[in-house]
Order: sequence, then C-alpha cells, then structure tokens
Amino acid sequence: MSETIHISIDGKLVEAQTSDSILQARLHGEDLVSANIGCMGQGVCGACRCLVRKQGERETQTRLACETVVEDGMQVSFIDYYQPAHLHRYRPQDLRDGWQAISQLRQIFPESQHCRHCGGCDRACPRGIQVQQGIALASQGQLQAAAALFDACIMCNLCTLACPENIRPNHVGLYLRRAQAAQTQRPGDLLRRLEQVESGAMTVVPTGTRTRSQS
Amino acid sequence: MTSAIRYQQALAHLPDGIEPARREDELSRAALLAQYHPDNDSRACARLDMGSSRGQACHAGLAPLLQGNALIDGLDLAGAEQRHTDVLVIGGGGAGAAAALTAARSSGVQVLLASKLRLGDSNTVMAEGGIQAALAAADSPQQHFDDAMRGGHDGSDPRLLADMVNDAPATIRWLIELGMHFDLTDSSVDGGQLSYKQGGGCSQPRILSYRDYTGLEMMRVLRETVELDPAIQLLNRCPAVELLSHEDGSCAGAVLYDLEYQRFVVINARQTILATGGCGRLHLQGFPTSNHYGATADGLVLAYRLGAQLRDLDAFQYHPTGLAWPQRMAGGLISEAARSCGAWLLNGLGERFVDELAPRDVVTAAILRECAAGRGIRREQQTGVFLDVRHLARSWPQGLASRLPALQHLADKCAIDPTQEPLLVYPTLHYQNGGVVIDSNGQSTVPGLLCAGEITGGIHGRNRLMGNALLDMLVFGRRAGRQAARLAQAAQSRSALPPPRGDIQHIYQWQRLRAQAGLSDEITAPQLYPGPARLALHSPARSKA
Repeated sequence: MSETIHISIDGKLVEAQTSDSILQARLHGEDLVSANIGCMGQGVCGACRCLVRKQGERETQTRLACETVVEDGMQVSFIDYYQPAHLHRYRPQDLRDGWQAISQLRQIFPESQHCRHCGGCDRACPRGIQVQQGIALASQGQLQAAAALFDACIMCNLCTLACPENIRPNHVGLYLRRAQAAQTQRPGDLLRRLEQVESGAMTVVPTGTRTRSQS
Repeated sequence: MTSAIRYQQALAHLPDGIEPARREDELSRAALLAQYHPDNDSRACARLDMGSSRGQACHAGLAPLLQGNALIDGLDLAGAEQRHTDVLVIGGGGAGAAAALTAARSSGVQVLLASKLRLGDSNTVMAEGGIQAALAAADSPQQHFDDAMRGGHDGSDPRLLADMVNDAPATIRWLIELGMHFDLTDSSVDGGQLSYKQGGGCSQPRILSYRDYTGLEMMRVLRETVELDPAIQLLNRCPAVELLSHEDGSCAGAVLYDLEYQRFVVINARQTILATGGCGRLHLQGFPTSNHYGATADGLVLAYRLGAQLRDLDAFQYHPTGLAWPQRMAGGLISEAARSCGAWLLNGLGERFVDELAPRDVVTAAILRECAAGRGIRREQQTGVFLDVRHLARSWPQGLASRLPALQHLADKCAIDPTQEPLLVYPTLHYQNGGVVIDSNGQSTVPGLLCAGEITGGIHGRNRLMGNALLDMLVFGRRAGRQAARLAQAAQSRSALPPPRGDIQHIYQWQRLRAQAGLSDEITAPQLYPGPARLALHSPARSKA
C-alpha cells in the first residue's frame, strides 16, 4: 500500500504518502493554505496550478496539484494568480451581433493575429486542449471551430502565462464561445415560456399543503 | 467498525448482463429517514443558546461557531484603511457574481466584490448536474413548485419558492445573453431544442445542463463578465472577518483582511450582500464533503452575530454518491446525472436496494442502512456501495465519455475503468438546506444586510432537489443585487456624502450575550479556512505598537 516519501513544495520539504495528490501533501503540512486551492480534486477551478519537476528530469511541467499524484523527489512551485494590467474589455451587449464577428475579434484581441507558433500554450495546458490550433483557426476567421476547441477549458490561465505575444488564448476562446451561445441559442420552449410568465398566463399558487402526498 | 463485504467478494456477487434484483423495502420512507439520515443522529442535534434564533434546533457542529466570539476587536480597526462603496458583495461564487453584475447595472452604483480565495473558487464551478427551469410545453412553474415543495418535505417558504420558479425562465435567458451554452437535443429545430434531464424527486425531466460541467460553464462566463465590468471593483484573497454596524443595529459594511498586504481593510457600504455559501468543509459528523475549500460558514456566523435570524440549520444534504475509493478522492462527487441516465446502486450482495431516483435524502439514508446492516463493501479502509454504469456504457455507441465526461474524467484519475468495474460510493456532505432568513428581495432581518445563495434558508425547505441550487443562487443573487442598488440609490439621493462609517459595537453586545448564556469557551469564528491551522490576523508587531 502507501509508503512515506518526500517532495519539495515552494522550497520546503514535505512528507507525503505515495497515493496522495500534491494538494493533499500540501494540506498535510503545518502551514495554513490560503491560496492556490479551490475544488479539491475535481479539476475544474484551476486554482492549484503549479510547476512540477520530477526527480532526474530537467523539464518542468505545468500541472494541477489536485490531479497530480506525488512521486519521491518531486519539486513543486505553485503559481500565483494576478490580474494583468491590460484586460481585453468587451461588454455582454457586444456579443449580440454576429455580423461583425471577425473584425470584432481582431479589434478586441488584436494580439490573436500575432501567434508565432511556439507551442508554449499547448505544453502549458493541463487539459490537453489544442490551444495553438484554436488561435490559428480564430485568426483565419474559423470562429465556430476555434470556439469548439476551448469547450473543456477551466480558465487556469496557464496558456495566457505561457504566451510571449500576450494573446491570452483562453480568454479568446471564452469570448468566441460566449458569442456563439449569445448569438445562436433561441430555444422555442424558452421563448414561449417567457411570454407566458410575462403576460401572466402562467402563475403559481404558492401553497404547501395542496402538494401533500405520500410518494 | 461495522462489518462489510470485502471488495473482491462483492465483485463476484455482481450480476452480469442482467438487471439486478431489487431488495424489498423493509421500512417506509419516513422510518428510513428517521433511522438512518445523518440529520437524525443524536450527535447532530443541538439548540442555539443565544442570539436572534435562540432556542432553535441547530447542528451540533455548527452551533459553537454561530455562538463564537469575534476574531477582532476595536484596536484592530485603529489606523486601518477606510474605504467606501455603495454595494459591498462578499463571496465570489455564482450568487456573489450575479448580485454584483445586477447591482452594477444601475447607474451610478459602485460595487465592490470581496472574495476569500479568487472570484469563481466556489461550489458553483463544481456543480455538475444542471439547473432546473420549467420550460417544456408539458411542464409549468407550478409543477416545478410542487416538486420542490414535496422534495423539501413541505418546509419551504412558499413565497420564496414561487419567486424562484417564476424567475427561472428569465434567469436562463440572462445566462444565454451572457454567453452560456446549454445542451440541445437538436439545434436545427425550433430555435434549438433544449435537452431536459430527469432529476431525483422531479415529476418530469426539467434540468438544463451543459455536458456534466454545467457549473464550470456557468462560472467561467460569470467570472469573465464580472472581471470585465468597469463598475465592479474586485478584491481577491480578502476574507470578511466581521461585519460593521450602525448604532441602530443596521449593517454598515464589513471588515476584510487583505492577505496580500496582511492588514485589515474597513469597507463602509450603503448595502452589504453576503453570498458566502455553505459549510461542507466543517465536515459535520465526520462526513467527507463534496464542497470546495472555502465552505466554512463564514457569512452565516457574521450574519448571526449581527442579529440576523436563521432557520433550518439542522437540515443538511448528504449527496448519495460521493466517491469512497481511492481515499485521496474521498468525498468528490459523482453527479446525479449518472443515476438520472440509469446507473444502479448495488450493495455487497449485488442487489439494488433503493429507487436510484428517489430524493437525495432517501437514497443517502438507504446507502447508510446498507452499510450499517453489513451489506456495504470495503476496499482498503473505505466502505461504501457500488455505483454501476457498466450496462449504460454498453448501450451507448459513442461511449461513456460522450454522455458523462466528468464521470469518465474522475474514473481516469482513480485509474478505474467504469465500463468494466463499478465505483465505490458513500454519502458526502453536500449542501446546507437552511440558513439566513430572507424575503423576496434577499433582505435579511437586519437592515442593510442582504443574502443570496447557499447561505440563505427557506427556499428548499429541509431537502433540496438537484438543479435547484444553481437556480436559487442566481434568482436571489439577482434579486438581492437589484434591491441593494435600489436602496443605495435612494440613500445617494438623500445625501451626496459617502456612506457613514460603521463600527463594531455589536460584538461587545454579543460578548455580553455570551456571558448571560453561560458560554465561557474560547471559540472564535468565522473559521475562514478548514483544518487546524488558523490565519494569524494579529502580527507580533501589534503588541509592540
């Protein structure tokens, strides 16, 4: 079963069990953990992003600490979050009109045209998303295809950190996905129910007792 | 430790290729809940000895924190930076984001959103199942209301529940306008035919979803919208350690602790919205939890100390299918989506023992009964029952990952192939059914203090149905945001001056109440972070100063 090993987290030696995740090993330590932590293993929040170097290897890899199992001699550094000085600002109402989509993308994310194909984003992504391909498709105007590639993105921002051209690929992906949803989804069921509720044709009798029944 | 059937032996009992037999129910639902639901365990039951809900039943693990002492005193505020805003939102999950976005739409209203971790680090992002909205032609808000009322054992505040179901269609529209995707069965028909999933306790399929990461899809859209909104100022890593009060007892903002600069920041606000979520990380009765790291009941503690009334804090939801093995993943959730697609729950004898789509409290009690009766399954040190999806995987030509990608992802991390081997599951602390008493505008019983999301009580009665949490927190987040902005604007029109400064006199009053109630313990709250280590709010430098 499990045995005790040692890893280094942010320069500190920490004891861990072989079946632990990096995040668990960190929580077993004495220090208060107040950042780089969130969903605790589901792998959806991106908070616990870190650099990992395995013993005997030169390359570091970016990983989610909650999903990565410890190995003896592993070196781990957590990566802080920060809000970059320049955001790509757009408003929800900018998503509504799809006719200018290609020029609008270039206007909001001008750097998206500057990809130098270094592959840094692909190597950084803990979800295995084809980030560089997504940006290539976006800059060719293949917006729907680009959006689809970012479907499982957890917004950990590692590709944004990795990009030397400040493209912020995950934000480009999210922008394209949002525009797609806002422009295309008009479910008939929803339109009809909205009209019924707004016109007062469908109201609720808010009583508890009438529903009393043993199911 | 009660006996259990060994894992290898239980595997041998699994029926192969045929639908397993269902064990007779020996108990009525009511008797099953009374005997086996964790809420009815004697270790859970306590009463509040002090405060505005004194005498009310409250979970024994929560009551000491609700009655605890403040983390700070007047000295901490001397020299602290004083800031002001119109609307202060505390909490960076879905409810906080919805409240902030809605308040910021009113002209001239400044909004400040403070989050303990980062904006988006919350239970919202982890929600897999989906969001209920009665949209189908055969469905109606009334049926949605009836299902939720019945599921909550008639314990809901009917007015709040009616607000929730009535606002559901407009809330879905709002999400689409912000750019959230929903699964469609056919995008070419009728403007896109929404796909409805069946939820436990629902009279018909009503749950909208996006794959099985609906919460991720929702939260990434909400977070981006908040971050890009120029009217919202965002403070990450700034937990609220106390609320501020005026002399009349109304709320005047909050004291935050800025982790980056390690100092207190006083936020004077015209209106304060608490959206701090629930308390799963308190691990009530030692249960594992599906909750995110920050779920430590902070807002609940602060609201109670300021005088807000609470309700139903003896009713918690234990999600039936938390992962039980491997230990490092214990408590992690396997979405109800699996059961809603037809997954079976099997005991160590290979028998089904409950209707898998009964309400969550019933399924949880049934699992605990199987384990107590020695029909549970033990793998290494972990006990549970099997969740079997092998038959589903066989009938889906595109494979398991196409329908239940999050389940596949989870199984991959456990190195289990769910098409060959069932998963071991055990109930996990999932949701706080009760909380702060609110009205239709999210207004608590304390003027100036509003609440939204899991921190509130009354909407779901004593048991929430799948898909109603994402709905409730958006509906009441938006309502609270709208109301707070309205009240802030009214105050602005009375006086152009910044909001008057608040104080922490209420904590001295609280200390007197503690003494009167005979409480002499040293417990301080809110806890802020789970586990034994505590945030050092007072640096050694202070004693020198």
